[in-house]
Amino acid sequence: MPQYGMVIDLKRCYGCYACVMACKVKNHTPPSVFWARLLKGERGKFPNTMRQALPVLCMHCDEPSCLEVCPTGATQQLDNGIVIVDKDKCMGCKACIMACPYGARYSVEKWESYFPDGLPLSEYEEFAKKHWDDNSGCGVATKCDFCLDLLNEGKLPACVEACAANARTFGDLDDPDSEISVLIRKYRGEVLNPELGNKPKVYYLAPR
Amino acid sequence: MDPKVNGQLQKDWGLLLAIYLFLGGVGGGAYTIAAINSFLGKSMELSTTIGLWIGFPALLIGSVILIADLGNPGKFILAGLKPGTSWIARGVWIISLFMVFSFLHLVLHQFTEISKTATGMNVIAILGIIFAILTMAYTGILLGTSKGIPFWRSGMVPVLFVVSALVTGHFSIMLGMVIFNEGAATVSQLSFMAVEAVVVVVVEVLAILFFLQAAYRQPDARESVERIMRKTIFIVGYFIMGLGVPLVLMLILRYAMTESGLSAVLGVAFIGALLGLIGGLLLRLAILITGALPTLNMAGFQFRRIARPKDLKPGIGLTPPQ
Repeated sequence: MPQYGMVIDLKRCYGCYACVMACKVKNHTPPSVFWARLLKGERGKFPNTMRQALPVLCMHCDEPSCLEVCPTGATQQLDNGIVIVDKDKCMGCKACIMACPYGARYSVEKWESYFPDGLPLSEYEEFAKKHWDDNSGCGVATKCDFCLDLLNEGKLPACVEACAANARTFGDLDDPDSEISVLIRKYRGEVLNPELGNKPKVYYLAPR
Repeated sequence: MDPKVNGQLQKDWGLLLAIYLFLGGVGGGAYTIAAINSFLGKSMELSTTIGLWIGFPALLIGSVILIADLGNPGKFILAGLKPGTSWIARGVWIISLFMVFSFLHLVLHQFTEISKTATGMNVIAILGIIFAILTMAYTGILLGTSKGIPFWRSGMVPVLFVVSALVTGHFSIMLGMVIFNEGAATVSQLSFMAVEAVVVVVVEVLAILFFLQAAYRQPDARESVERIMRKTIFIVGYFIMGLGVPLVLMLILRYAMTESGLSAVLGVAFIGALLGLIGGLLLRLAILITGALPTLNMAGFQFRRIARPKDLKPGIGLTPPQ
C-alpha cells in the first residue's frame, strides 16, 4: 500500500493562489473554509528582508494529533496514510480543530453566501451547497483529503494539477524511486515545525 | 471570510464552552466541599446540603449546554462508546459517573433517613469526591491536550482549573447559604468558610501567576499571554473583581465583622461570593478567546498573522489608509 505525501518547492512557488482556488472549485467549500491556504512569511530585518509564500494544507501526519483527540472515531487514518473525517460519525466537538497545529481543519455552522448584504444564494452557490452537504456538511469537522476521489480515478489532487509553477509533487513516500522521494532526498525536504512530533507527510524544499 | 492564518486567535470555542467549563468546575468544586464538610458533622449541615444541591444540577445544566454547543448533537452518544480513545471520551464517562454518585448522595442525604455517617454513605461520598476531582481536572485536560493552541498546552491548566473549581464551588455554596440563611448558624458557618475561601483564593492567585509565567517562557504562547494581559475581562473582571475583591471581603468577613449584624455579614458574603463566581467564568472565557495557533517556521521565515493597518494606532507605525 502506498503512503501518499506531497512535496512543495518553495523556490518555485510565487504565491499566485491557484492552488487555493482550485481546491475551492473542486471541493465547493463555503466562504470561510480554505482547505488549501497560502501564508506569507518574512525573514530578516529592514532593509535586508525577504518575503516568501507558503502553501499550507492538511499535512496528513503520520502521527496526527487530530486522530488522538477524536472521541467518536470520525477521524480515521487510511492504509494509504491519508487522514479523513467520516461526517456520519462526527459530533462536531471541534477538539480536532484545536488539536491541529497547522490549522488545517474547519467547521462551519451554516452555509453563508459569498455575496454581502444577505443576497440569496446564486445558482452556483446552490449547487456548491448541495455538494458540500453531501460530501462534508455543516456542523462537522472538515479538511483536505488529498482529493481522495480523484486519486481513486488515477488523477492527481486538484491543487497539484492547478499549480502553474509545478511547485507541487504528489506521490508515494514509501517508494524510494518515486519523484517525491527523490526530491526529498536530493534537496533535503523539510516538514513544518518538526518539534511538534506529528511527522507530517507534506514536505517543503527550502526557498533560498 | 478571511482564510485562517497561523498566529491568529481561535474562533471555534467560545462563550458556551466557557459556561460548560465553568459549570463543570462549580459542580465538581461544590460537591467536593459539600462531601468533605459532610464528614465534619452537624455543624456544617447547611453547607453540605447546599453543596449537594449545586453539584449534580450544575453538571446536568453544563452537560446540556455542551451538547447544545456541538455541531452535530445527535451523534453525542458515539463519544461514550470508545472510552479509551481520547480525553473527551474519557471525560464523558468521568462526568457521567460523577453525576451518578452526586445524584445518589443528594437523594440519600435529602430524602432518606440513612445516617450521614453510615458506611454506604461514606463510600458514595469518597467515590463522589474522586470523580468530582477528576471532573474538575478534566475541564483543564480538555484544553491541555489541544496541541494546536500552545497557550493551553501546559500542565498548569488542569491545576489552575481544579483550584478555580474549588474557589467557584466554595463561593457557590456561600451564595446559597446567604439565600437560604438560618440566622446565627449561617453566620458561624460563613465565618468558617471565609477562612477556607481565603486559602483557596490565595492558591489560585499563585496558580494563575505560575501558569502565565510558564506560558510566557514559550515563544509560541507568548502572544496569548500578552493578549490576555490586555483583556479587561481578565485583568479587571477576573483578577481584580473576581479574586482580589472577594479575597479582601472574605478577610473582612472573618476578622473584622465578628460583632456585626446578620444582614451586614450576609451582604458582604453575597457580594464576595457573586464576584468570585463571575470571576471564575471570566477566567475560562479569557483563556479560551486568547488561544492562538502556533507560528509556522521554515528556513528562517516565520509564517504568521501580520498586524494589519487597522490594528495599528495612527501615529505608531503605519497609518490606516484614508
